[in-house]
Amino acid sequence: MSLLQVDDIHVYYDKIHALKGISVHVEEGEIVTLVGGNGAGKSTTLRAISGLLHPRDGAIRFEGKALGGLGAHDIAALGIRHVPEGRRVFGRLTIAENLDMGAFTRRDRRVAKDDREQMLALFPRLRERYRQLAGTLSGGEQQMLATARALMGKPRLLLMDEPSMGLAPMMVEQVFETMGRIKAEGVTILLVEQNAPMALGVADRGYVLESGQIVLEGAGRDLLGDERVQRAYLG
Amino acid sequence: MSGAQLARSQPRISVGRVSPVDIVLWSLRILVLFVVFAGTIGAIVKDRYTAAQWFDFVMFGLTIGAIYAQIALGYTMVYGVLRLINFAHGDIVMCGAFAGYFVASPLDRSGFLTDHPVIGMAAILAVAVATSTGIALLTERIAYRPFRRVAGSGPLIAAIGVSFFLEQTFRGMFGSSVKSYPAPAWQRSTFEVWGFNVPRIDVLVIGLAIVFMAGLYLIVQRTKMGTAMRAVAEDAEAAALMGIDVNKVVVFTFVLGGAMAGIAGVFYAFVYKQVYFFMGFTPGIKAFGAAVLGGIGSIPGAMIGGVFLGLVESVGPSLFLDGLGIPAPYQLRDLIAFTLLIMVLIFRPNGIFGERMAKQRA
Repeated sequence: MSLLQVDDIHVYYDKIHALKGISVHVEEGEIVTLVGGNGAGKSTTLRAISGLLHPRDGAIRFEGKALGGLGAHDIAALGIRHVPEGRRVFGRLTIAENLDMGAFTRRDRRVAKDDREQMLALFPRLRERYRQLAGTLSGGEQQMLATARALMGKPRLLLMDEPSMGLAPMMVEQVFETMGRIKAEGVTILLVEQNAPMALGVADRGYVLESGQIVLEGAGRDLLGDERVQRAYLG
Repeated sequence: MSGAQLARSQPRISVGRVSPVDIVLWSLRILVLFVVFAGTIGAIVKDRYTAAQWFDFVMFGLTIGAIYAQIALGYTMVYGVLRLINFAHGDIVMCGAFAGYFVASPLDRSGFLTDHPVIGMAAILAVAVATSTGIALLTERIAYRPFRRVAGSGPLIAAIGVSFFLEQTFRGMFGSSVKSYPAPAWQRSTFEVWGFNVPRIDVLVIGLAIVFMAGLYLIVQRTKMGTAMRAVAEDAEAAALMGIDVNKVVVFTFVLGGAMAGIAGVFYAFVYKQVYFFMGFTPGIKAFGAAVLGGIGSIPGAMIGGVFLGLVESVGPSLFLDGLGIPAPYQLRDLIAFTLLIMVLIFRPNGIFGERMAKQRA
């Protein structure tokens, strides 16, 4: 059984047919990436999985359980955490409070405290600014916080939407390096990226999306070497 | 998108050309400044009021301001979480005042309120809080939640509808007459501090308002639900992705706002010593103005805005208007309050704390 099974979902924005039958599966322990141009439907797929959008057709299963009809907060409680595009940290809350909100669904306070220590060890920059408002952080630091906040919920599956967007090249390197460490901790990742070479380099498998459909799928390395992908995204 | 960003995207009037609107606005500013300065100088020169009278004005301003502040908190919290101006909030205050009346009245007649003032007041406040909170929750569930995803002015119209509904329901059930609120002797009495007579009811209202508002502030700042409320106010979608149930947070917000409204209703009735079905309208509108004055969405802003508005409308008539020789200035205190509101809406729509908020969001 796959950890996540997306079966032929169709999503509409009013009359616009945004996803025309997307099927994706993610196995435990993998990093899977969705790549493609603007408007291909990558973010829409993630938003459908986390319950921010409801597919008109098709089914999404997480650990075998159908997610249809569940609200975003219910899906988060099941162990899926979505780091949204643009990071969306709570700028008027402190870093400490942002991390607490990440652990909102958890009852075991003491364990959550240990996890917070672990997050601060993973991202030492956050410890330095622990009591500051998240709005004062740089883009790279906000990405760290958004990731740490999501991990505070002890997810089994992490959805990451454009984590490298708008970051300096050095920060981008760091984001992808962090992803490897998260995977080593046993968290499965579904990654959406415009930066196809980096994403395919780190991913076990990848899907290429074009106007709401999957046009190619395969191992990350194979896609990276594929002539069509090279032409379309790697210039 | 915040107001500041909207303002920036609008075309600017070119320098050197003054539109008639600008002239009117500038005249308004100059007129208000003239009234404030000339009036104050006039008042100082005339010296009509004694220190004790000024003390009374300030004391009453703080009392009524503390009540406005508590009501304003309900507006600002609901606006923060739902981006809805809850026009029925003043009527929730009225519901609390009425519920308190039905407890206070028999307790006063039996003499219980005189013999056991603390237990009596606690009972009155508890029933008022329960009623206001209950009605606030029903309002949210029945009238506001179905409109949550409706764009445009639907939710606002629903709020106005709820306001009329509550007013007319109470009118139908309890009549349109003004009922006098019981005022036991200890409430009317005063005690002396440094030669000034301090009314006990003022001290009670201010003291309890400080306690309740401090409690609310701690709940919002320190508890998990309070933090979740601030998170939802900033980004409801991101909060839902953390597993926060936005509906529960909205309910929590209405509980806090409703409880403050119930307390404020009892206080307001004790100060003016009467209840009637339309009594929530004026303090509601003023408290909404106080929330805008402080920067809508900001909790400290609502508290400070409320107290400031109370002080201005209490001290203002004697300070600004009496000095200009306007007769019976005290009857014009609503004029002062609403002029302040209009000035804020025209010249500083983000409020006192609004600008900082907009910057942080950007």
